[in-house]
Amino acid sequence: MNPTVRLATRVGSALATMLVASFLVFVLLEYSSTNVSAKILGPYSSESSRQMLSEKLGLNDPLLVRYLRWIGVVVGLREDPVVTSGLIGSPVVDARYFGNFGYSQLYKKPVVEVVLPALENTALLATVAFFGIALLGMLIGIVCGAYEGSAIDRSLSLVASVAASVPEYASAVILMFVFVVTYQVLPGASNLDTTSGWSVSSQLILPAAVLIIYDFGYVARTVRTSMTNVMRSPYIKAAILKGLSFRRVVFVHALKNAMVTPFTVILLQIGWLVSGVVVTEVVFGYPGFGRVLLEASLSGDIALVEACTLISLVVVILTQVASDVGYMVLNPEMRARA
Amino acid sequence: MSDHHPYVSKAASLLSEGRATRREFLRTVTLLGTAAATAYAMADKIIPQARAQEAQPTFKPGGEVKLGMRVDDVTKPFQVDSAQKSNIIRQTLDNLTRTGADNITRPNLVSKWDVSEDLKTWTLKLRNDVTFRSGRRFTADDVVWNLKFALDDANGSSSIGLFKSYMLNEEKAGDKKKVTLWDANAIEKVDDFTVRLNLKAPQLAVPEHLFHTALPMMDPESNGNFGVGANGTGAFEVVEFQPRNRIVYKARTNHWDRKPALETFAFYDLGDNASTAIAALASKQIDGLYEADASQVDVLSKFPGLKYYEIATSTTGVIRGKCNIKPFDDPRVRKALRLATDADAILQLSLRGRGKVGEHHHVAPVNPEYAPLPPMKRDLAEAKRLLAAAGYSSGLDLELSVPADYEYLVNMAQGVTSQWAEANIRVKLKVLPGAQYWEVWDKVPFGVTRWSHRPLAIMQLALAYRTGTPWNESSYSNPELDELLSKAEATVDIEQRRLIMKDIELLMQDDGPIVQPIWKSNYTYLRSDIGGFQMHPSGYIFGEELGLV
Repeated sequence: MNPTVRLATRVGSALATMLVASFLVFVLLEYSSTNVSAKILGPYSSESSRQMLSEKLGLNDPLLVRYLRWIGVVVGLREDPVVTSGLIGSPVVDARYFGNFGYSQLYKKPVVEVVLPALENTALLATVAFFGIALLGMLIGIVCGAYEGSAIDRSLSLVASVAASVPEYASAVILMFVFVVTYQVLPGASNLDTTSGWSVSSQLILPAAVLIIYDFGYVARTVRTSMTNVMRSPYIKAAILKGLSFRRVVFVHALKNAMVTPFTVILLQIGWLVSGVVVTEVVFGYPGFGRVLLEASLSGDIALVEACTLISLVVVILTQVASDVGYMVLNPEMRARA
Repeated sequence: MSDHHPYVSKAASLLSEGRATRREFLRTVTLLGTAAATAYAMADKIIPQARAQEAQPTFKPGGEVKLGMRVDDVTKPFQVDSAQKSNIIRQTLDNLTRTGADNITRPNLVSKWDVSEDLKTWTLKLRNDVTFRSGRRFTADDVVWNLKFALDDANGSSSIGLFKSYMLNEEKAGDKKKVTLWDANAIEKVDDFTVRLNLKAPQLAVPEHLFHTALPMMDPESNGNFGVGANGTGAFEVVEFQPRNRIVYKARTNHWDRKPALETFAFYDLGDNASTAIAALASKQIDGLYEADASQVDVLSKFPGLKYYEIATSTTGVIRGKCNIKPFDDPRVRKALRLATDADAILQLSLRGRGKVGEHHHVAPVNPEYAPLPPMKRDLAEAKRLLAAAGYSSGLDLELSVPADYEYLVNMAQGVTSQWAEANIRVKLKVLPGAQYWEVWDKVPFGVTRWSHRPLAIMQLALAYRTGTPWNESSYSNPELDELLSKAEATVDIEQRRLIMKDIELLMQDDGPIVQPIWKSNYTYLRSDIGGFQMHPSGYIFGEELGLV
């Protein structure tokens, strides 16, 4: 298959997945029209006022009609009925724009104004953690794979397994006790406020460390397995028999092929780093996407939960597409088939 | 003493005869219009005591103090319903009066008040030098606008609960009730700096009511809205407000009276996780906590450079059912819940003893009108008998909603739940996150509510248990209590009032809507180089009193 066609097919299927997933999210949260009006008016509002609101917002229409209307609002083709019905009152907000996920009842402002700054913050933390996880995971995986069965392999594999099995809240408290309370070299809260003298980068260290500790073992094990397989292959043995230095065999001949499978695994960590870091963000008071998602879920802020879920989906699907494309580029077999 | 209210002489006699405490005397005579300094001097003359000279700390000019506290979105100050929210507006908006940490109410934007002998005419003399941040002078017109705005039920202020019995009438409007001022002249502008309140019934606690959290003095042009740049008479200006994150204030440079020592003051929201606040204090990202919980105290007591503050309060947690739904509509069920509770054990369990045992009537030992009663002991047999008489011989199955953001309330709920099980009252706990719970605190059928400290029990009872008031979360309605309350509010005589309070307390224990096993002391930690802080029993924080020493 032509690479362009193959890519177009992959992107097309990603779009279809997003559409189906968005429909499922909508159905899960908005299946019952009275549930929606109850969330807007509060759980103890009267049945009659819920009915009145449902009529006003067209919540009694068929599900598919409501879904299409909602998509229309999200992409900016339609005005948000919650805004035009005057339910929000002041402050006045725009009713129609791209990315209009509605109005957050919890934060009392448009969802996009809540989510975007939080996403930016999470992207910052995720970037630091991602490089930490990838570098540490690869380094340990390569060393263990290259020296399979050695004492260093066994020791590092044990460290990676232990680290991966410590829950984030536990490692967070241990790190806080050591670096914040005992040695006082790092800040305890990572609220990204710099007026207390702690730089943003210093505030990123502990939450990033917690994420790295929790996740690098998984990457290391994948790299190790892949590396071990490559190191056993005939061309590597041939290279060693030819008298090439072990270091050259590992870094020049083995590494490129050994990284094909882990590449996908490493990229897929991005999805987890964006939407799965709730515990770390809460423990450190980090103003990120995970904390917003948690607060939105706990307080039943439907518009915010929908937006957060969809954004998480988009990130996961995009990283899957990227890892597929990367896999195609890196894997000689796939290139040959193309 | 000729300028004083006639009861001031009687109060002085009671003090000298030992029939009133020093604090009762101070509180009563200051409410009757005697200046606090004069009242203290009178008390010292009657009962000489070495009063610690309140040393005024010398502050370094400037600096910044940041305290950890929940930072909720506050856009409508007249609807403020928690001490944290009131702290958010308090730095910028003043009340007419101010009740200090000593429970004594003093003039603030008013220079003095006079009260008629029958307690029905209160004349408020305003300071003539108060200005808003915009530079405009604060006058009687502002006071009239604010009081009328707060007492208009379209604006949803809990002030209505406090003022209803003596300033408002209730009328039926369709299927709803509407409150209006009892008389067109109830709030009267006398001149530019004098306002008179003409009451339909006598009321002693007017100055304390004027310090109510939901009754700040705003610029009428704000139309009751608050945010960055809000125009108030307070010592600070809001320069940054991010709900759930932080609110930052800068000191006003043109303040009419008290330019703060600090240049910047701020509240930081670090979420509900107790360890985050501890870690933030350890790394000096915040300088103190609005309030510490018992688990934080254990850790923080080991930190160097922090100072501990504690004060006894009437802050409490009450467990209440909605009295207009089953099974709480039956007073026997409500009493059975009280009798099945061992309050001493709950105090140890929930607060590790940092407080006092509650007596299920919401009148605290720190309230001046408290009348001691014999302890209400646990009586399982009687509790079971009452339940059976109410038709629940096989016991009860209930669901109790609890806010997760106050650990001691969760512990209290767990404690009573296991105690009640012995009386066949089976309770399923529904622990909700604070942000979710406080949206519905007054609507859940059976819930646990934290009530902040109030200097007077009659204020608390009027807010929470008078028929039809906005914060009557239990929908309790008892004409006998309403009448006793009105009587207590109109009684100046300390001994007489205590007798009425005794009847109220007994009525609450017998018929009331609450189980109230504890009184919580307030405690917190601040950096030891912060001066001027006094732990207020209500949890109120006045940024302008703080400074770096």
